[in-house]
Parts: sequence; C-alpha cells; structure tokens
Amino acid sequence: MAFDAARFVAQKTEELKKYADGEAIIATSGGVDSTAAAVLAKTALGRKLHCVFVDTGMLRKGEAETAKANFEKCGLDVKIVDASSLFLSGLKGVTDPEKKRKIIGECFIRVFEQEAKGCKAKYLVQGTIAPDWIESGLGIRDNIKSHHNVGGLPKEMGLLLIEPMRDLYKDEVRLVAKELGVPSDVFSRQPFPGPGLAIRVMGEVTRERVDIVREACAIAEEEFEAAAKAGKMRIPWQYFAVLLPVRSVGVQGDVRAYGYTIAVRAVDAADGMTANYSAVPHDVLHKISLRITNAMKDKVNRVVFDVTNKPPATIEWE
Amino acid sequence: MRVPVIDLGSQWTHRIWRTLRDLECDSEIMPPDVPFAKIADADGFVLSGGAVRIGGGEDSKIAKCHGIVEKFGKPIMGVCAGQQFLALHFGGKVAPAKMPEYGNVEITVAEPDDLFAGIPRKFAAWASHNDEIKEAPGFELLASSPACRWHAFKHEKKPIYGTLFHPEVVHTQHGEEIYANFVRVCRR
Repeated sequence: MAFDAARFVAQKTEELKKYADGEAIIATSGGVDSTAAAVLAKTALGRKLHCVFVDTGMLRKGEAETAKANFEKCGLDVKIVDASSLFLSGLKGVTDPEKKRKIIGECFIRVFEQEAKGCKAKYLVQGTIAPDWIESGLGIRDNIKSHHNVGGLPKEMGLLLIEPMRDLYKDEVRLVAKELGVPSDVFSRQPFPGPGLAIRVMGEVTRERVDIVREACAIAEEEFEAAAKAGKMRIPWQYFAVLLPVRSVGVQGDVRAYGYTIAVRAVDAADGMTANYSAVPHDVLHKISLRITNAMKDKVNRVVFDVTNKPPATIEWE
Repeated sequence: MRVPVIDLGSQWTHRIWRTLRDLECDSEIMPPDVPFAKIADADGFVLSGGAVRIGGGEDSKIAKCHGIVEKFGKPIMGVCAGQQFLALHFGGKVAPAKMPEYGNVEITVAEPDDLFAGIPRKFAAWASHNDEIKEAPGFELLASSPACRWHAFKHEKKPIYGTLFHPEVVHTQHGEEIYANFVRVCRR
C-alpha cells in the first residue's frame, strides 16, 4: 500500500498536540520540508508555534522575497532574522566541506536559541527528512555529509527537538504538503540545501564568491525552467550551478582571460537517495553557458556540465 | 507478515524498510547486534548493505550476525554487504571487486527461481559496491552483470537469497517486485 498522506497528517497532528505542552519555534526556509513541517505544527499547536526565517546571506537570488510570499500563501506568520554577518564571519577562511556544514548548523542553532528566548520556546520543530539523518551517519552508518539540521547540530543545545517527518522522503513530503493545503508552486519547488550557496562555493566562502554562484544559479534556474515550459525537456528534480575554485585560461575580445569555472548540474530523482544526471538538450546548455560567461565575464570564462550519477557522486558537490 | 531489516549501515537501509512497509509487512530496522530473541519469531529478514568492507576483513564488526543467520532457519535476503556476509558465513570468499560498480548495471538473470519470478531476464539495476563475492560454495547463481558474476544467488538447500545490486532504490527496475517475491517466500 502506498503512502497515505491524510492518515499521516492526522496521526502526527494528534501526536504533536499530546506531546508539546509549551511554546515551540520552527525555522522555515520557504522550502518544501520546513514549510510542510510548519503548516503541520501550526495545525497542531496554533499560537504556540513561532516561525522564524533566517537570512543566512547564502540564499538564492530573490529567495527572501519568494519565501515571504510563500509564507503568506500558507497562512504562516514568520519573523525574518538577518544573520548574514554571523554566517559569513563564521565561515571565514574555512574550506573543508564538513567544517562548513558544522559551522552553519551551529550558527543556525545560535540564532534559534536567541529567538527561542524571546518567545520562551521549549521545543525546536524541524522539517528533517530521512536523507538528512541517513547521510549524516551515526554508529555503523558512514557520514556522507552532515546535514545542518542533524549532524550539524551542536552537542549542547537548550531546545527539545521535534521532527515529525523523519521517516519521509521528498516525494512523500510533497504529498503531505499538498494534503495540508500548501499551494502547488510551493510544494513542487526543487530542493535547496539548508547550508545554501555556501556549499555551492567550492573552497572559501566569501561575499564575492557567493555573489558569483548566486547569479550563475539564477541563470541556470531560469533557463531550465524556460526550457521545461517550452516543452524541450522535463523539469529536472534539482538543477543548479556550482562555483569551482579552478581557474583556466580564456580569450575575450582578443584579450587573455583567466577566470573561474562554473559547473552546471541537473539531476532526475524521486527520493534523492539515487539520482541520474538529466538529459539536457544541447541548445539549453549552450544558452546557460553563453549567459553565464557573458554576464560574468570578469569572473567566469568556462562552464562545464556534470555528467555523474548518485552514486558515486552526491547531488550537491559538498 | 513480520520482516525486519538488520542494518549493516547502508545509505539505503531505510529504503528497504519503506519498500517492505509499502508491501504491507510489519517491518522495523534493527542493529546488527540485536539479541536473537527479538528476531526469532519473524517470518524472514533482510540483511542490508553497509559501509563494512566484508572483502577487507571488517566482518568482525558484525560478527553477531553469524549467530543469527545460523539459528534463524527461515528466509533471509542479503543485499550488497549483506549478500557478501552470507557468502562468507557459508564458507565463501569475498574480496575487493576487480571492477567496482557505482550506479547503473545491466543484470542478466540466469535462473528466475523465486526471486526473479515474473521479471524480465534483462533489466537495469543500481549498485554501489567496493567488494564482490569470489566463491560461494553451496549457492546457486541467479544473476550477473557484465563486470560481476555473483549479482544474485540462492542457497541450494535453505531459503537464503542475496543480491549485490540494490532492489530498494527507485532507479532499479522491478525492485519492489523482487522484494514482493521474497515476501512471498516468507509467506510459504
């Protein structure tokens, strides 16, 4: 028997009502998982639930605005907290992907703790789903990457965790969100990692590098979405750009160039635990390459397309 | 139908649990050192894959599973490291694969038997293994890929099965049917 979203929602709402006897805080990124968790928790906890949106400075172009609009559509009252300087300064000089993820997890918790004090919250609700704790590893299971909401959490934390969707995968979460009345443009959004663009910048995260990958991601997203709309391809499960630390030689208007490389990635998946790279028509790739190298000519002079599946790669690069 | 999963640490252990749950089995994930009493009355169980290098002498980490396999007496299905562990348990040899396979592999079924009943003789499956079975005395070969011989086997006398590829991931064709076939064996 396939997953029954209505039964899941009814059961989890009941459990939450019984379990949580005080105020709770939830961090919502505007993505599918945390939005579903927030709407579910609000159904159960009503005014006891306090929603926070953290601007990490690692968000995509227009993300804060999109998220705000989505919260309104879902009937969520969300406090916006700008913590971008905290995240950027925390990541200064750090190049190791696991260190980045741990620092980001810790920054998130510091913000939550601060916000929890304000509303006297005892619980932290998270939209954690199965791949988050699976890939974070524990005991016999190898750590593939520490998801900010699991392996990235500091050991000392003054909040009790509630994770109603721990056993679900993305396809099931979308059904739950739909069941909860979340609009389809919100529940069908592509996944975006909690650590944000910080893990799409290989090497050190600086404001300048985040700006480069933000623009490249925006171009890639626009072109994939336009191509899907025009019927040239199916919209991939996830599609984005990564900034590589490798520089290479180019020629721009008869002048030597020496710039960064952008990797474009698009994958098809159902639950994110396995994925194949998408078959993207050449004209779509061509347009993405052209736009990225022209719009960012001072920074980027080469674009490559990632043709690796998961396994052996993961979907994101870090 | 109670079919637990013994977790050797695979990225896809939870997918096995979800597949069994979708097949309406009563399933739960158990650690490799689970006391035998907790699994003794199950109708069958699945031994998941995992990061343990069976071909690198790391099977001592899951040594308790030998006792469980020895005493259980009902259907067992091993996947990836779980399959390799079963081969080792019955006196076989496991070593680093000549050609490890990550992602898509083409499976050719040599013997449909119970596990591949109703499934095409060739299908696409996904694997993710560093080691492989070199010898499996007492086992019958059920399926292979071009790079690897022992992709699926069955014990000649006991209801014990194994696949090197992962039927629980969505990229494997007919994966759920393979588990449904195993559950059918458990029901006998």
